[in-house]
Amino acid sequence: MVFLIARKKKLMVNKIKLGLFLLCTVLLISSCNNSKKISSASYFRNEKKLDSIQQSYNTLYGHVPFSLEFTDNAFNEIAIGIATDSIKYIYQFGINEKRLSDTLQKYDLNITGVKHLITQMKSIHCTWINNLAYFENDKKKMLTYISLRPVMANLPFTNSKYFIITYFKQPQYFDSEGRLLAGRKLRKLRQINNETFRRINDKVCYTVSEKFR
Amino acid sequence: MSLNRTQQFKNIILIISYCYCCITSVKGFDNSDTTITSTREQAIAYIEKIKVLQKSSSWPNIKPDLFLANLKSNIYNPLSIYEGSNTNFCGYAALSYLPLHHDPLGYAKFMIELFEKGKASIRKEKFLPSLAVHNAAGLLVFKGTLDIRPADQLWFLCLADHFKGYLNYFNNNFQPGDEDRMWAAVNYAKFNRIIKRLYNYKVEAIGADLIRPHVNNLYEYISEKLTSGTVFLFLDNRYLTKKQHSNFRPTIPTHFVTVMDIIKTGDLITLTYWDYGGKTLQQLSPAFLKKIIFGISHCTQKKTDG
Repeated sequence: MVFLIARKKKLMVNKIKLGLFLLCTVLLISSCNNSKKISSASYFRNEKKLDSIQQSYNTLYGHVPFSLEFTDNAFNEIAIGIATDSIKYIYQFGINEKRLSDTLQKYDLNITGVKHLITQMKSIHCTWINNLAYFENDKKKMLTYISLRPVMANLPFTNSKYFIITYFKQPQYFDSEGRLLAGRKLRKLRQINNETFRRINDKVCYTVSEKFR
Repeated sequence: MSLNRTQQFKNIILIISYCYCCITSVKGFDNSDTTITSTREQAIAYIEKIKVLQKSSSWPNIKPDLFLANLKSNIYNPLSIYEGSNTNFCGYAALSYLPLHHDPLGYAKFMIELFEKGKASIRKEKFLPSLAVHNAAGLLVFKGTLDIRPADQLWFLCLADHFKGYLNYFNNNFQPGDEDRMWAAVNYAKFNRIIKRLYNYKVEAIGADLIRPHVNNLYEYISEKLTSGTVFLFLDNRYLTKKQHSNFRPTIPTHFVTVMDIIKTGDLITLTYWDYGGKTLQQLSPAFLKKIIFGISHCTQKKTDG
């Protein structure tokens, strides 16, 4: 009898140990999934689509300045920020909601163009697009800021990282390691959203960030 | 003899009491418990008289023409003051709404004096910025429009240098880059204290750094307070302006905004607020609003006749 109880106890302890081991393994694996290297290759994989998104966005932005964000994991909900002279309006919609078209019409945005942009963004998990102001020798310049969200980012215990691409209108200056500089004469690294960017080509840079904007 | 001494002591006490009463009553007539106000026209008249500013030895990295342009921009368009992207200056920018709207002349005079002399006072608060702050103003870069707004840089740096709260305990002295760190952070009590000390407003504050205010109907409360004064919200900006898709994230307040308007549209609340140099209108559910708000400060002017 005593022998049986001792055996049961031993089995229970082993089960607990196995459970703990499995839990630790799952945690370790899920915390390591970001090891999938995000680099400039992520740009080249979607180069044509990204360039097309940037061009479509800037054409639409020229009429009415706006930003676009996918707010959910399934890429079905968007937040659109429409900037007027006096105020910025932020609205949230499902991508198939009629309210979206009504709102775009109200603010004189090209409905077909914006909807096409939304489809393009969704197809490559682009979570955010906006134009940002930056300054060079006290002169205001604009760049296009695009964030891509990796598919693995939704897993628990993972530190979501976003692949960020910036499109400049003019060729930029880089140091020997390919890091974006503040200007030709300034050897200081330019920071955008507190991140250092690296060269893809003269006008396109990338970084990996924990924030998508 | 002993009786005489007691009488003398009583007389001294009486004289001291009388003097104290006289001093405090005079203080009452001294307008010191009144919120000082001025008009935008007065501020424009003052600032337009200044055609050229000479370079200040106190602020070696501030270009005088940019400083003056920034000051004029803040007076003509008070909502243009900009805290910079990714800095911890949001609290200072939010409270700047009060002087820029209600005492722009006082703001302009203070800024010019601070620029020319390197030190200045608002009421009893004497601003004597540290050498590191003197050198940093004008050099903050990669912060969006703040890069070309040296007057805003100087103002925020001086406020952060002068007022301290418990969040600044471990980072008390400015080092380059501290504008993004805890050196510039503002906790809720510090925010309300700055408004009281600098501008002598009556501040009715509910909420705390980690505890949400107990208000049944936030919409009714905020809209009622808006009718009689300026309302600031202390909220979790990581939910209002999402930057990450984290699965587990505690709600903690990170941002101050000035409420411009609040209306109810069906089940949603349409909130118009000011931050980052502009007004934003956003539709939010009451539950979401309740989740993100940690502090509501209602500021009213003190008037002698009131």
